[in-house]
Amino acid sequence: MKVRLLVLGESPPGLAESVARGLPWPFTEGRVEPGGALAERCYDRHRAQVDASRLVAALATPPPGWTALGVTGLDLFMPPLAYVFGVSELAGRRGVVSWARLRPEVEESLPSPHLLQRLTVEAVHELGHSVGLLHCVVPECAMHRSLFAEAVDLKLPEYCPACIDTLRASLGA
Amino acid sequence: MAHSVRILVVDDEQHVRSSLAAWFREDGYDVTIAGSGREALQSLARDGADILLVDIKMPGMDGLELQRKARELAPDATVIIMTAYASVETAVEALKDGAYDYVVKPFDPEAVSRLVRKAAERYTLLRENRALRERLESAAPVLITAGTGAMGQVLELVEQVAPTDTSVLITGESGTGKEQLARLIHARSNRRFGAFAVVNCGALAEGVLESELFGHERGAFTGAVARHRGKIELANEGTLFLDEIGDIPLKVQVDLLRVLQERVVTRVGGNAPIKVDFRLVTATHRDLEAEVTAERFRDDFYFRINVFRIQLPPLRERPEDVPLLAQHFLAHYAHQMNRRIDGFTEEALGALCAYPWPGNVRELQNAIERAVVVCRGTRIEAGHFPFAAGPREEDLTLERVEENHVRRMLAASGFNVTRAAKLLGIDRVTLYNKMKKFGITKP
Repeated sequence: MKVRLLVLGESPPGLAESVARGLPWPFTEGRVEPGGALAERCYDRHRAQVDASRLVAALATPPPGWTALGVTGLDLFMPPLAYVFGVSELAGRRGVVSWARLRPEVEESLPSPHLLQRLTVEAVHELGHSVGLLHCVVPECAMHRSLFAEAVDLKLPEYCPACIDTLRASLGA
Repeated sequence: MAHSVRILVVDDEQHVRSSLAAWFREDGYDVTIAGSGREALQSLARDGADILLVDIKMPGMDGLELQRKARELAPDATVIIMTAYASVETAVEALKDGAYDYVVKPFDPEAVSRLVRKAAERYTLLRENRALRERLESAAPVLITAGTGAMGQVLELVEQVAPTDTSVLITGESGTGKEQLARLIHARSNRRFGAFAVVNCGALAEGVLESELFGHERGAFTGAVARHRGKIELANEGTLFLDEIGDIPLKVQVDLLRVLQERVVTRVGGNAPIKVDFRLVTATHRDLEAEVTAERFRDDFYFRINVFRIQLPPLRERPEDVPLLAQHFLAHYAHQMNRRIDGFTEEALGALCAYPWPGNVRELQNAIERAVVVCRGTRIEAGHFPFAAGPREEDLTLERVEENHVRRMLAASGFNVTRAAKLLGIDRVTLYNKMKKFGITKP
């Protein structure tokens, strides 16, 4: 499954490419492309946040064998949830992930290795949803649900054996 | 995660419904959505739900009204109210009306996730609780009896008194199954989900009995190294069964009388009264009236416990129960000892029915256990019973021997009067007359 990473809004150079290089099976490095002004169109001025559901819906449907993931530094919300790290269409091959709330408290220069690790884990998480995976009970699995940034540090940018089995079955691999 | 928990999201805003549905589906919940109270009730009637996330402000039927109506369709469902800051007061009203909790929009994802997880855990506990109660009810003790004659009356009395809180005194010879009857009363009572606390008053020395009944505080006496809750305290909301009540010392009778009057207990060595709410069932093989006359038993205590009396007949007065009990114990011990024994020979059954069972059901139980141990075939034979070597008929009157023989032949013929009469060498009318004379009724 090839991944089309769309950079939405401003981003430190090389961040999306580093994420793309850290993706596990079944995702292979695809393309990193600028996503244009999609995020701005879904921006809510009152909340100073981007509506994540609208943003995902605005992404073009990728061709078969591909999945599209928006990567942004803008803060995402999904009414009625005050914020989300990312959102995907379950098995819809479209999703978005934000690093706005993943930044470490003590920030080094962007992109810091710590932020890159967290963003990669959450990108793997959203990509998993986009191909049909649900949340996983294994704490280290990327598909485990994290509700705050520090919890992301407990996970690895890879799937547990059970999630890999589910992927193999659903992708016919 | 909680795969079997069903969530119904009710909100008039489409994007709220779909966002929450997606959010919870990712956790593996089974989610349905409804855009109005009316739609929610239809969905609830059709598919049910375990957790309802309800927006409080909706056009038409609001969240409060929906909550009330939903309770009729799904009384066990957990309702979580979604509200905006401005309507928190209404959310509080919903809580008073039985809602589990509320969340204020926009939600912190951590808060809503935690809340739903807690609600799902609550639902799972409720379901487990119900399953356990059902198992408990199905495992309720049963009294093995044909339910005829005196035992039929006993069962009727149990049905009458069990649902009340009336104190019950069970009298009967040793081994007649008084504790089993007390357990049956507890199991049929409204206190059946509470504890059934048993104290064998005859087996304990006075000091130990006090401690067992009332409990003690740490340091109350030498050896009281820790606080101990007594059986009266443990029986709270349940049943306290005091076996061999006729054996308790006068001082303990006074203390128990006070507990029964005031419904409070004070641990030995303590001074804090503890409220207790229990149903009292007592049992004795003694003649309590005689004990009262002999001033070994307080009359006021006797009147307090003897509110509803059930007299358990000895086994010799209910021979029709012997084959049933024997079969029950045979199945129990054969299973326990992993033996394949199908039943009894006719001779064995006849011996069981003829024996007078002075030790009652307990003696019968022991006899069957022993027979299962010594039996090498697939059927229990008369020789396997300890008493079969020769019931001491030489000690019996002629009339008793005749009665035993009539009973034996009736049991051996399966209570077929024609066949029994043939075995006895008499006609049916004579047999009927003898049955009447000896008080033998068909089981």
